[in-house]
Amino acid sequence: MTEATAVAVFFVLCGLGALLGLVTKQERNPVLLALIGAAAALAACVAGAHALFAAQPFAAHLWPLPTGGTLRIGLDRLSGLFLLIVGAVFLPTSVFSAGYLRRYLSHYSLRSFTVLYFGLFASITAVIIARDVFSFLLTWELMSITSYLLVNFEYEREQNVRAGYLMLAMGEGGTLAAALALLLLASAAGALDFSALKAAGGSLSPEMRWSVFLLSFFGFGVKAGLVPFNSWLPRAHPVAPANISALLSGVILNLGIYGIVRVNLDLLRPDLMGTGVVTLIVGTISAFVGILYATTENDTKGMLAHSSIENMGIVTAGLGAGFIFTAAGRPALAAIALVAALYHMTNHSIYKALLFLGAGTVDYRAGTRDLDRLGGLIHRMPWTALFFLIGSLSIAAIYPFSGFASEWLTLQALLRSAELSSTGIKIVFALCGVGLALTAALAVTCFVKAFAMGFLGLARSEQAGEAAEAPASMLAPMGALAVTSFILGVVPTFVIPTLSGALAPLGNPQATAALVPPFFAQETDHAGLPADFAAEFHDLGAQVGERIIPGRGLVVLHRGGAANPVVFAMSTSYGVVVLVLLLLITWLVLARVSHRRRIRREVPWAGGVRQLFPEMTYTATGFSNPVRVVFDAILRPRTVEDTEETVSAHFRVAIKRSEEPTHLVDRFVLEGLTRTLNVVAAWFARMHHGRVNAYVAYVLVTLLVFLVASAFV
Amino acid sequence: MANWVFSGLRMGVKTTRYPRRADETPGVTPGLPLGRSLTGGEGREVVARCPTGALMTDGDNITIDYRRCVHCFRCARGASDPLPWQGGYQWARAAAPPAQRRQVGVAAEEERTPGQPLGTAFARSLHVRVVDAGDCGACLREVKQLSNPYYNLHRLGFFITPTPRQADVLLVVGPGTDQMRTALEKAYAAMPTPRRVLAVGACALSGGVFGPSFMCSDGIGSIIPVDAEVPGNPPPPLAILHGLLLLAGRAGERREEEGPT
Amino acid sequence: MQASAITFRVPEQLSGRVDVLPEGDRSRCELHCEAGQLQELSRWLRRRGFVFVGLIVEQEAERWLLRYVFYPTQRTPESGDSSWVHLLISQPLAQTRFASAIETIPGIDWHEREAEDLFGLVFEGHPKLGDFVLHDDAWQEGVAPMRKEFDAHTAVSHRAPDPHWRPKRIVHAAGAFAMPIGPVYTGVAESAHFLLETVGEDVIRALPRFYYKHRAVEKIAEGRWPEDVLLLAERFNGISAFAHGLAFAQALEAIGETEVPPRARTLRTLLAELERLRHHVGLIHDICESTALTVAASQAAILEEELLRLCGALTGHRYLFGLATCGGLTRDFRDADLSSAVARSGEILRRLTELEIKLIKTSSFLDRLEEVGIITAKEAQAYGLVGPIARASGVARDLRRVQPYATYAQHTFEVPQESEGDGYARLRVLLAEARESTRIISQALSVLPGGPVRAESIACGPGAALGWTEAPLGAAFHWVRLNEEGRVSRYRIIPPSFVNWHAFYLAAEAFAFQDFPIILASFGLSVTENDR
Repeated sequence: MTEATAVAVFFVLCGLGALLGLVTKQERNPVLLALIGAAAALAACVAGAHALFAAQPFAAHLWPLPTGGTLRIGLDRLSGLFLLIVGAVFLPTSVFSAGYLRRYLSHYSLRSFTVLYFGLFASITAVIIARDVFSFLLTWELMSITSYLLVNFEYEREQNVRAGYLMLAMGEGGTLAAALALLLLASAAGALDFSALKAAGGSLSPEMRWSVFLLSFFGFGVKAGLVPFNSWLPRAHPVAPANISALLSGVILNLGIYGIVRVNLDLLRPDLMGTGVVTLIVGTISAFVGILYATTENDTKGMLAHSSIENMGIVTAGLGAGFIFTAAGRPALAAIALVAALYHMTNHSIYKALLFLGAGTVDYRAGTRDLDRLGGLIHRMPWTALFFLIGSLSIAAIYPFSGFASEWLTLQALLRSAELSSTGIKIVFALCGVGLALTAALAVTCFVKAFAMGFLGLARSEQAGEAAEAPASMLAPMGALAVTSFILGVVPTFVIPTLSGALAPLGNPQATAALVPPFFAQETDHAGLPADFAAEFHDLGAQVGERIIPGRGLVVLHRGGAANPVVFAMSTSYGVVVLVLLLLITWLVLARVSHRRRIRREVPWAGGVRQLFPEMTYTATGFSNPVRVVFDAILRPRTVEDTEETVSAHFRVAIKRSEEPTHLVDRFVLEGLTRTLNVVAAWFARMHHGRVNAYVAYVLVTLLVFLVASAFV
Repeated sequence: MANWVFSGLRMGVKTTRYPRRADETPGVTPGLPLGRSLTGGEGREVVARCPTGALMTDGDNITIDYRRCVHCFRCARGASDPLPWQGGYQWARAAAPPAQRRQVGVAAEEERTPGQPLGTAFARSLHVRVVDAGDCGACLREVKQLSNPYYNLHRLGFFITPTPRQADVLLVVGPGTDQMRTALEKAYAAMPTPRRVLAVGACALSGGVFGPSFMCSDGIGSIIPVDAEVPGNPPPPLAILHGLLLLAGRAGERREEEGPT
Repeated sequence: MQASAITFRVPEQLSGRVDVLPEGDRSRCELHCEAGQLQELSRWLRRRGFVFVGLIVEQEAERWLLRYVFYPTQRTPESGDSSWVHLLISQPLAQTRFASAIETIPGIDWHEREAEDLFGLVFEGHPKLGDFVLHDDAWQEGVAPMRKEFDAHTAVSHRAPDPHWRPKRIVHAAGAFAMPIGPVYTGVAESAHFLLETVGEDVIRALPRFYYKHRAVEKIAEGRWPEDVLLLAERFNGISAFAHGLAFAQALEAIGETEVPPRARTLRTLLAELERLRHHVGLIHDICESTALTVAASQAAILEEELLRLCGALTGHRYLFGLATCGGLTRDFRDADLSSAVARSGEILRRLTELEIKLIKTSSFLDRLEEVGIITAKEAQAYGLVGPIARASGVARDLRRVQPYATYAQHTFEVPQESEGDGYARLRVLLAEARESTRIISQALSVLPGGPVRAESIACGPGAALGWTEAPLGAAFHWVRLNEEGRVSRYRIIPPSFVNWHAFYLAAEAFAFQDFPIILASFGLSVTENDR
């Protein structure tokens, strides 16, 4: 029972961390947080990894509940996966905090930060291991509150308070909906623990199924940042400290996905096609809206926040495809789609944490998050630049980094819709595929802009020109995340079986056989592989070098039929090897050809101007302006100022233009919602006229109503 | 919609036969004066008429420094004993060796004799960056004519690049004004080796009628090292082509004693 | 014109003296006024249809002499037969502060800035002096090279430009930047610098910066013989060499009251129109090239080269250098040569017309020119624009009509005019002017008299006079003053590009980056003519 030990150790460490944090001096708190946080994260990783790989779920009863049933916790493979991701993100973030939290030393209480930090860590883990409705909801609330407090850590700033408040309000709304969903299930099952809910899940009526789905999907969707309830996310990220932002995007958004997957994949079987279609469409729209606003955003953390919405949208779209394939009776394809979704979620946690830590480092050293005021940092902060570059390459889905493998798999899974029968569904898939492809293109634009404007070129502000490299305590975690991101991309053939193992207990067949067959050596027994399929590959010469190339490196999809068995094949592992070889050969050739030449370094050619000033170089706004212009109908920025000042009729001294971006979802959802609420509240406000006699009358009327009602109950 | 393809095809071939054969179409060159021997006192009057001092007496002969000729035609019109003028356009020659020439950004291994061609690799693929150092517009216009169908420098493998980073030859026109000095130096410094500089026009060679003054140099050779020179005011496109062919190693130089060919 | 025949009615406000002097075959009225009356008088003149030409600053032995030149665009009872009105303001050398006329004459902006940079005069009320001819990041303050004390032949070795100089930006918008173009930019182009302030797609503000090609022609002309300065006049802008050489020669002829023989005058007309035809075909080639319509550009280039060869074969020089001289022309032409040249130019016009018909049918080409780079009639009037650009914006001003020179008064021709002021209007004006030039050329040939091409006796100064021509780009003015020796003591050129570049920024703003080269090409202005 290693998991149980590890979990226990973990909680002990969290408690210890919180207690020690209260008593330690303010200056020592960051280091304390780093050390104990890292240890706790390690414990969490051990627990999660063991659960995921060793396939030994554990369950435990804790205290009995007053309403019946007991408090249950447990760690199955799915939870193990999420716990592993949690630990993997908390580890570098904790180490990063050692250096980063110094900036709050004199302004805010680091003691409260430490306490809240461990509280958040513990509550997140508790959510993942909760196995009954009551504990789930309780820990979910704890998690919401601690994350709100941490996001709102710099509470002295007005906009931080508003952003945090919106996060809390929307979060509570989502929690309410999710709670309703779980309670509906619980009332149908007659008990509170998940195993009972699962057993009863099969016998629900379609209307009940739809209600549970809608409530849980949109309720957990608030936490995951899906349209139309993502308004809190782009506001919360920029105001939170960088390490909290990393946790927010890397871990807390995943909990929304965890909720959706737990309810709709584990407790209920997705056999209603409509639910899958809704999931798919909402996912695609979130992805597109997210990346569109990310491309036109200049605040680094705001941009990354919108990008998180995009990535969660892609994950949801993968989930939706999986639901649809399950409902259509194609379990193998469903497995592929779900594996792709979880793969993308894992990748996103790693590289988004990396990017947020990078943005935090830049903010720490260059003093600003505005891309229009950064620049030239690659010379002053080379390691940060390198790690940020790896993060950008990953998130833009560039081969061979992690984002490529998962996004490619997701798109391929969507393409498999060709094997479905219903034309309407196929059209939906086609449109969503197009949307995701457009999203991928915009993602490349967005992160080229982010890296180029932030790190390349000339420094656009004095502080950026004098930034120094970050301390090792901040660089090492970023480096570790970068390496992890690279590895996750280069060995998909190990990640996919792990993930499909995580899905297996939920009743899904193994996607491993479909995606990562060991076929190089024909002697091996290929379970479930038709002989002509393997032969096809051998005809292509796949067995060449089978003694040198180890095991499985290819990700392959085959239909198993006789004609055209192979649908797609990809290998980042072998690709990396070939890439390295090619680069090596090129370098050798170049070195031989030019060994006599010397390199002369000159300033960039700028048309012969006497001096190139930073304000003459492209800004992030300029770079993304074409996107702004093309999608103006969606973006609809609001013109705040457009004036000209002149002196003496023909001489202008100032031209002022400023625009405020408005979010599409805000315009449609938030503003509509607030207006409705205001109207309703105004209507109710008529009751509050201040006359005591009327209030007494209200009390009497209420009493009467209850007396009458009690007669009927 | 007009049919440009047909109308283009109907135009036929206009390209000159140069450098394979000489081009003797009227109007293709203004020509240059020829030196001759002095015939008593009248000869000297012609020498004094030259406003830029291009005509000199050397013993019994009138010699001409073509770098200074600004095509004012005073030695041909209105003089009692005018100099003969001849057409032709193969006027390019290597620049004088660097006595006081500035070597801007030239490393030791880049030392080269002026006029030394770039090498066979560049003979049929030469990239030219044109820099205007204050020219009057006529030289620049003649350079622009190089891309028209009559001269079509692309058929020789010569191209005009938008950036000096990809240029083999820097073609400079104009007398090298003071305010263009930095830009010219930067353009030269931005060129990767091997590189050559072709100075085109009387202004670029000797300052023309403008220099030297507080605003103009006496030829761009005092700002950047010059490899080959094309005299004329302005030199016709065929002469500029000759200069480029010289640097590409595909044309012989004008021999001094023969005058313009 | 006899001075007694002048019926110019002097305004009552004027307290200074009035001189009426002969100017060629017309007259010039010089009004000496006090500094404070400048604004009032210029407003009075403007209201009566007088057009401002330029400001000429002269440093005399003990006084500054500022000369504001006007001419009437229509004949009114008040303007009488006087063709030119010069307002003169004079101050002792020690007083270098003058009142700016910028409120009443917006077009004087650059004249005053130039005078400030080159002479060190200060025009009070002008909001933007400095960093004009002598760049502030290359020269220190107070150099004033046009002053007589300054030696033109010694390089200024001590240079202390402002180390904190930055280009002045006026756009305040998030993420706005100023994209630099030039001075060395793509292709075969003249050196000039444009700073385009933008937030990414549209140019919000265009700030040109010229004088990278400044050769100080006005300064180095001082002390030279007139025939040597004629070389400068021809070569400071080689693509309209004959027009400028002719203007200078006419100024000298006005000083010396030299009578130019009729054959020379007719030939001058013919050659000037030949140059205009070639120049306009070159501009059409540039416009086609900027819109990347390659076949049309090649066809226009063929026509331009043929015209260059025509000029070269006829006159000995492709750009008509060395033809104009004081008193006539330097050489004569055989009638046979002239007839064949004129016939060939007619044939070239026919092919140009074919090209025009095809261009008008190409909608992708017109799309890039129509409604792009607009100068309204009001702006053209305010800035005093000249040439084909002004005519495309509805301001039909042509010196060949209003102040005829050579034999223009005897020829029939139209001055084309359009009203939209966009790139397409300018193209139409260029094509129409090319047509009219060919008309004038054949008319000139048909009435060409015999006789000498140069006056026998050429008197030369002292004195001062204005010479003018309608150069291909617009009205060009050369003011020449000769001292007792007969050498040039002051030479001022007011070229058409100097006036027109002033208004360029109006056309370039509010359009996308990609339109900028097309707007540049449709203006067709010359940087070297502006920079002198």
